[in-house]
Amino acid sequence: MAKTMDQSAQDEEYEKIHQAFEAIKQKHRDDLGEKDVRYIKKIRRNSRIFEVIGRSLIHILPGPFALIGVPFLFLHRNLEAIEIGHNVLHGQYDSFDEIPQFHAQNFRWKAPVDETSWRQEHNAVHHVHTNVYEKDPDLNHGFLRVNSQVPHTRLHYFQVPIYLFLFYPFMLYNFNAQNLGVVDKFRKKYFPEGNKGYAVLDESLRLSKAEGKKRHKRAVRRIWAKEYVLFPLLALLTGFGAIKVFLANLLADVMNSYWIALTIQATHFTEPLQPEDAIKNKGKWYISQLDSSVNFKGNRWQSILWGHLNYQVEHHLFPDIPAHRYPDMALEVQAVCQQYNLPYKSNDSWRAAIKKFVGAMWTYSFKNPEVKDEASFLDKAALLNKAALLNNEALLNKEATNVK
Amino acid sequence: MLNKFLTDRLAKILEFMHPWLIKTLGRDRLEYVASNTTNEVTKKLDPFIWTYDCKAKVIAIRQETSDTKTFVLLPNQHFSDPIAGQHIELTAIGPKGDAARCYTLSEITPETVSITVKLNPQGEVSPWLHDQVAVGQVFNISAARGQFVHRDQQQVLFICAGSGITPAFSMINQLLAQPSTDKASEVGLFYRTQSPENTIFSKRLAQLDSLNKQVKVELSYSRLPVDVVTPSFIDQLIAAYPDIKQQHIYLCGPELFRNDVIQYLESINFDMHNLDVEQFTLPELLQDQQSIKKLDEDVTVLLKSQNINFVIPASDCDKTILEAAELQGITMEHGCRSGMCGSCKTNLVSGEVSGQKIGRSIYPCTAYPASNQLVLE
Ligand code: FES
Repeated sequence: MAKTMDQSAQDEEYEKIHQAFEAIKQKHRDDLGEKDVRYIKKIRRNSRIFEVIGRSLIHILPGPFALIGVPFLFLHRNLEAIEIGHNVLHGQYDSFDEIPQFHAQNFRWKAPVDETSWRQEHNAVHHVHTNVYEKDPDLNHGFLRVNSQVPHTRLHYFQVPIYLFLFYPFMLYNFNAQNLGVVDKFRKKYFPEGNKGYAVLDESLRLSKAEGKKRHKRAVRRIWAKEYVLFPLLALLTGFGAIKVFLANLLADVMNSYWIALTIQATHFTEPLQPEDAIKNKGKWYISQLDSSVNFKGNRWQSILWGHLNYQVEHHLFPDIPAHRYPDMALEVQAVCQQYNLPYKSNDSWRAAIKKFVGAMWTYSFKNPEVKDEASFLDKAALLNKAALLNNEALLNKEATNVK
Repeated sequence: MLNKFLTDRLAKILEFMHPWLIKTLGRDRLEYVASNTTNEVTKKLDPFIWTYDCKAKVIAIRQETSDTKTFVLLPNQHFSDPIAGQHIELTAIGPKGDAARCYTLSEITPETVSITVKLNPQGEVSPWLHDQVAVGQVFNISAARGQFVHRDQQQVLFICAGSGITPAFSMINQLLAQPSTDKASEVGLFYRTQSPENTIFSKRLAQLDSLNKQVKVELSYSRLPVDVVTPSFIDQLIAAYPDIKQQHIYLCGPELFRNDVIQYLESINFDMHNLDVEQFTLPELLQDQQSIKKLDEDVTVLLKSQNINFVIPASDCDKTILEAAELQGITMEHGCRSGMCGSCKTNLVSGEVSGQKIGRSIYPCTAYPASNQLVLE
């Protein structure tokens, strides 16, 4: 009896939490309008201005001076990749008829990533099963090991330098390969335990081999054609240095990948693994999102350059609300978390966040790290459970005294 | 002034380059380039390329018979490869507003598709096509759709009447273009029209017959001079194709004609699994206004992104659109199935749903059909 009471009190609590977050979501959905359209258009306009400035400077300035143009080109590519691309592909702007260019179905990325398979991997898997062991592909981009459950191989001893120096510079290309199943094949072939411990693309979602190959090539070549063929060629034809343009574009490409890698790697895998069945209960799901995501602080400008991914908590609670609203939503989310005693995690700076995640990569590069994996909030269910129990006991005591 | 002159020039040049662009760049690459260069200027400069709509331009018009014309269309980059036998839905910009009709593709080349349209003076779209449309006209079309396509049967017989020749014509041409190893061994075409003058593609049908050994074309006329005694067309059909029971039949034509043929096939115990009948499922519905769904009504759903349509039986209408689609064997993009992740989000082009939505954006995992027809992006 006590047990069922306990259970129903808990369920009620989950339901309340669910409703509290739903209310925030609904409030912002109702408020969607002109403001959002203006915002995304403005970002696109700025991105284009940066592109023109960047490419012109790189084109015209001689030799090393062309480097002056690189930051501008980087800004363009960065805005297009995350603040525009990532958010648009979440369908955040789908409900505005007047901007078909920002509808998830229409949008074509200026990042070397195939949109369809990315949406599948990111929206439908990562965002649903965040930090779930063997389910969340983002827990192990490539062969990463960030918890002790993943079988250790010799490669993992070197994961910090491999990621920092080899993978992050081309992170976007790696994402694409992962989404299209290339990485699964690699692990299957070279790891003694194959894909054990890693999230594998669901067979039913997997594209046919030929289609996957085609998409992979297409996604990469369209970027290379523009960055490494068209613009160098244009320079050559107009009497400027083609190699210089090639290298400058390469630098912007690498910066873009590195920036995004450092941004997103800092937001999940330092946090506890989540129970697989969280998605079965909406309240629990919200809690698991809170528990598996961590923000880092920055001002509005910085946040745009991070694609508002530094508001990872809000993004994971409300993946399809326009991201520029997250700073406002954060206050409301914090209030709910406080009210229900839920975790709300935030690093004080990007630097702190990077330090923490590189630390985690280092820790788990050893076979038996000294630390123990932290249990998830839901598994502990400490607060809720205790609260329910206490309530019950208090109630029972009261009843007991009444009877007396 | 000069500015205007220059942009006009540029627009002309671009217009001139469309076929070349689509041919050399290919639709897929053109789509990527166009999508990433769409802005206010380019949209005005060339609304054919810099658009998110699937459009087609008329590049040639041929008179087939006195009341039938063939329009050769160049679709833009949003059109993907059609299969012979499929149809497109064309949106006419008529005086009374937009009107949509379906037309089967009569000819398919890598860059173009053709439709062959008989004039129906009472109609809304065919008079517009016949009288108003000239080379250069641009209109919206849908992706090619329909299941009336060849599925590798060895012996096929097309039975058609009137403008029902169009799918047969494109399918036969496709069959003949296949590498000789997997060619159908025999192709028959029985075509019923009013008179030799009214026979669409008459010359090219004669050519098909004489140039290809495995093709046998039989024409049948309904309005010959009175003194010629003609057997019933069914008799003529049997005489021409005595082994009709061994054939896979594709049937296309006016309803009365179809019924006659089906009746005959039933009478000879023809295996109906070997019969395909052309039916446009959506167009009739599209003509009348969307109506609010009644309880006992089935719902027709068209998924534009996947270019498939399916029917949700009335008994399944209390299920979410996602579930109902899956029951029909159709997969739609989804993640959490509970309205949280936004993976399933899509836009409603027409129709109504209840449940979770924001304006025209709906969440199929938590939305239910509320009109008898739904078109989703
Ligand atoms: S599947 Fe997640 S919102 Fe519909």
